[in-house]
Amino acid sequence: MKKSEDKKNNSKIKVFSTKIRLKRFDYKELDQRLRLVTYARLFLFLCFLLICTRLWYLQILKGNQFKALSEKNSIKYIRLQPYRGNILDCSGRLIAGVEPSFNIGIVLKDVKNVEWLIERLAPLLQLSPTDIRMKLVASKNQPSYLPIIVRRDATWEELSKVEARLFELPGVVIEVAPSRQYPFGPVAPHLLGYLGEVSLEQLRQKKFANARPGDLVGKSGIELRHQEELSGISGYKMIEIDARGRLVKVLKIKRPEPGKDIQLSLNLDIQLAAEEALSDKVGAVVALDPRNGKILAMASSPKFDPKIFARGVTKDEWKELNNPLLTPLVNKAIQGQYSPGSTFKIVMASAGLNEHVISPSSTFFCNGSFKLGRRRFRCWKKGGHGQTNLYKALVQSCDVYFYNIGLKLGVDRISKYAKGFGLGEKTGIDIKGEKSGLVPTKNWKLRRFKEPWQKGETVNYSIGQGFLLVTPIQLARLISAVANGGKLFRPEYLLNTEPNLQGIVPVKSWILRTIIPALKGVISDKHGTARICRIEGLEIAGKTGTAQVIKQKKRREDEKMVWRYRDHALFVAFAPVKNPKIAVAVVIEHGGHGGSAAAPVARAVIDRWFKLQMPKPSTIIEQTAQKEKAKVHG
Amino acid sequence: MDKKRLLKDFDLPLLLYLFLIMALGLINLWSASAASGYPFHIKQLQWYLIGTGFMCAACSFDYRKLSNYSGYIYAITILLLIIVMVAGKKVSGSQRWISLGFFNLQPSEPAKLLMVIVISSFLAQEDKEQFGLTDLIKPSLLVFIPFILIFKQPDLGTGLLILIIFASLVYFVRLKWSAFITIFAFLLCAIPLAWKIMKPYQRKRIEIFLNPEADPFGGGWHVIQSKIAVGSGGLYGKGFMKGTQAQLNFLPEVHTDFAFSIWSEEWGFVGAVILISIYFLFLLRCLNIAQNTRDKFGSYLVFGITAMIFWQVVINTFMVLGLLPVVGIPLPLISYGGSSVITTLLGTGLILNVKLRRSLFQGS
Repeated sequence: MKKSEDKKNNSKIKVFSTKIRLKRFDYKELDQRLRLVTYARLFLFLCFLLICTRLWYLQILKGNQFKALSEKNSIKYIRLQPYRGNILDCSGRLIAGVEPSFNIGIVLKDVKNVEWLIERLAPLLQLSPTDIRMKLVASKNQPSYLPIIVRRDATWEELSKVEARLFELPGVVIEVAPSRQYPFGPVAPHLLGYLGEVSLEQLRQKKFANARPGDLVGKSGIELRHQEELSGISGYKMIEIDARGRLVKVLKIKRPEPGKDIQLSLNLDIQLAAEEALSDKVGAVVALDPRNGKILAMASSPKFDPKIFARGVTKDEWKELNNPLLTPLVNKAIQGQYSPGSTFKIVMASAGLNEHVISPSSTFFCNGSFKLGRRRFRCWKKGGHGQTNLYKALVQSCDVYFYNIGLKLGVDRISKYAKGFGLGEKTGIDIKGEKSGLVPTKNWKLRRFKEPWQKGETVNYSIGQGFLLVTPIQLARLISAVANGGKLFRPEYLLNTEPNLQGIVPVKSWILRTIIPALKGVISDKHGTARICRIEGLEIAGKTGTAQVIKQKKRREDEKMVWRYRDHALFVAFAPVKNPKIAVAVVIEHGGHGGSAAAPVARAVIDRWFKLQMPKPSTIIEQTAQKEKAKVHG
Repeated sequence: MDKKRLLKDFDLPLLLYLFLIMALGLINLWSASAASGYPFHIKQLQWYLIGTGFMCAACSFDYRKLSNYSGYIYAITILLLIIVMVAGKKVSGSQRWISLGFFNLQPSEPAKLLMVIVISSFLAQEDKEQFGLTDLIKPSLLVFIPFILIFKQPDLGTGLLILIIFASLVYFVRLKWSAFITIFAFLLCAIPLAWKIMKPYQRKRIEIFLNPEADPFGGGWHVIQSKIAVGSGGLYGKGFMKGTQAQLNFLPEVHTDFAFSIWSEEWGFVGAVILISIYFLFLLRCLNIAQNTRDKFGSYLVFGITAMIFWQVVINTFMVLGLLPVVGIPLPLISYGGSSVITTLLGTGLILNVKLRRSLFQGS
């Protein structure tokens, strides 16, 4: 019977629509569907009952309680900012700590006439009304009960002016917030980095999960790299206030967790010596411990004051920070790329010996210039060095000697050794922005310029001029490797990390031992180019370098030239010659001769290190006092 | 065709409820607009008008033709979701919108409705008395692709909503008990896995739901403030445009996901229960149509659309009342948003359509 009915139905449907395929419920299915819909109705009813119950609970049962909350808005959450972790030097001295500072802000919710308030507040803070307006506009998306900070790290003068008029400035608040303090002034700002107000982009990153709009976070250097450890976790205070905003009682406190301290391998004494020696120059100093690659000092000049970024950079400051000649924001120690000049002769000598192009006793005759085809390449010494062996060539930095080696090696063999000494690639220091420098090859030039490599370029290359570019930190690692028997460590700035050995210089060990006496002669020999660097009681080995900035047809006295066309001065050194413990690379932009401009800076650094080796009781007392101070701040 | 009969079968009460909800929604958005200074209510009125046009269009043809085009409909759904993935507009981390110049289309909204059509058609054509596990493989695959596309936007809420609508439809076509138990056991095992795949912010929302006090300034803010807003409404509410929580901007997004909380604050328990009751009557009416339609496709279609609206209402109100974590599910017709309004009205149009043509079957 069922079948026949189905047929009947189907035939009827076909009457009015033949194209549409239809499936109809049979009677059994209709019954089941009735049941299913009934259950669905029941479920629907239950859900709405639940909603109504919840509404009843919130609005009737707890209604008065919530009403009180909303009317007086009587419960407030106050966010408690965590203290940022300290940054300490190798002996625990505080380089960057935190101290309370005072911010002046505006709570828009409490302001009746914003323009009126801005007109009153601006002169007190020596800001233009537009500055304040800009800040209000920039944070217009945040809830109106949160203060918008218009002046960070206010001075006592500003504070007292505002405080005295606080009653006639409704909506203006003064809040205490931890801010970075630098007990020794801005030390190594390029390495440490600076703090600034967190950007919208940063807020989306996982690294800044704990930050809220308006917070200060790391923007560069170590502060950025170790933001997560340093930042800590914020807490809050739940308080009850009356209608006038007075505190009734504290309901709940979750204390903020302060950030972790970071201890650097940096030695504050050496760092300060380096910065002092660089203070009136443009350039960079890197001092490494050749035994493990730890950074003892890293300075770049001119330096900047990291505090200005936290309070907001003014237009004039910004202009100064972006001076294209001085580039104060650039960390020249890892981002400056320079021709190594004669410091490259260390690599050349090693390559020549290792490839058996020369022996320790081979000599070349230097008459002051070198002929290649029709071109003449000068030695820096007009009259020439005469008969020159390897020792004399390094001590007196004879160019002709190395022109000869360079031509015998050829460009690609030189480059193989340059790369072997860690040039042309990043050292891997754990900070953003490191540059890799450049080691040219025949193929590279063909690709880059679509021109074959010229022999004359090999000649230039062999005294560290031309396309070759190195960074100060690469030079420091290079001279460290010479000092420690060929080990290339990754430069590290954290004290408690394992040394990271990245490779071994590809020359036989006797070769470095052969070169070192000559490098010692650079300082101690009476014809040495860096005699200025001598320190009594300490054996130092080093090599000077002078890198041309522009091509010169004739030699000219540097003093007569415009500053920005003068040569860069370079110097690399390590000490003591036996069991070396410090290796230094110095680059002075447009400093002139390596021996006269860069070597004294290195001397100042090594001298400070040397004095530290003889401990005095007074320094120990000083150090413990500092530690105590650090503890108090932490 | 018999036009008189068509008119007689037109479901006027359903339409009445619908217009009532829209009217209340407009009043509510008027208040929300005063808080934010943007004329949401005017814009929403435009969407209502456009949506009503769509609704009329949706009941002007024989709905059964939709079943023939379900392949195309599915293709359009996937295409829209892929376009949004490739060329969509990014707003605070989620790529959910296609910019059409005058209008930002949120394809995951119509996708819900389109998937209801596709799945209803598929299940109706399968024509089984009871569905086993193997019968579900094909439709599950059909649902899974749009789910993944929406999940990746990322829009966990809408993605899950599609799954829930699918599950409701499967319930309606009758599932074997054995299949039901297997699926349930499988879902239990899948929860830890789902936790792993979720984006950190999604995980955080669930954590915050479980303990809003842990992060009162971040995500916990919504939940706490929404509860204060609703609770402070009391029995009769604070009155139109007098809700302090919303008007003082304590409560974010009052015009979209938290529209119900401003309604409850300003109109109190009475107003909230009235609004909920209208929804209740509306949905009951829809279920009646689902029950009384003899055509399988039509019945499934109505049930699916009803489920779509029902779940949005339940999830949104539960979220506002602090019974569920914060997910971006709007309250149909009350929350501001063109895509959502048009989808809801289109869906209602289809329900009316099925009701209109119901009698065409009752010849037997």
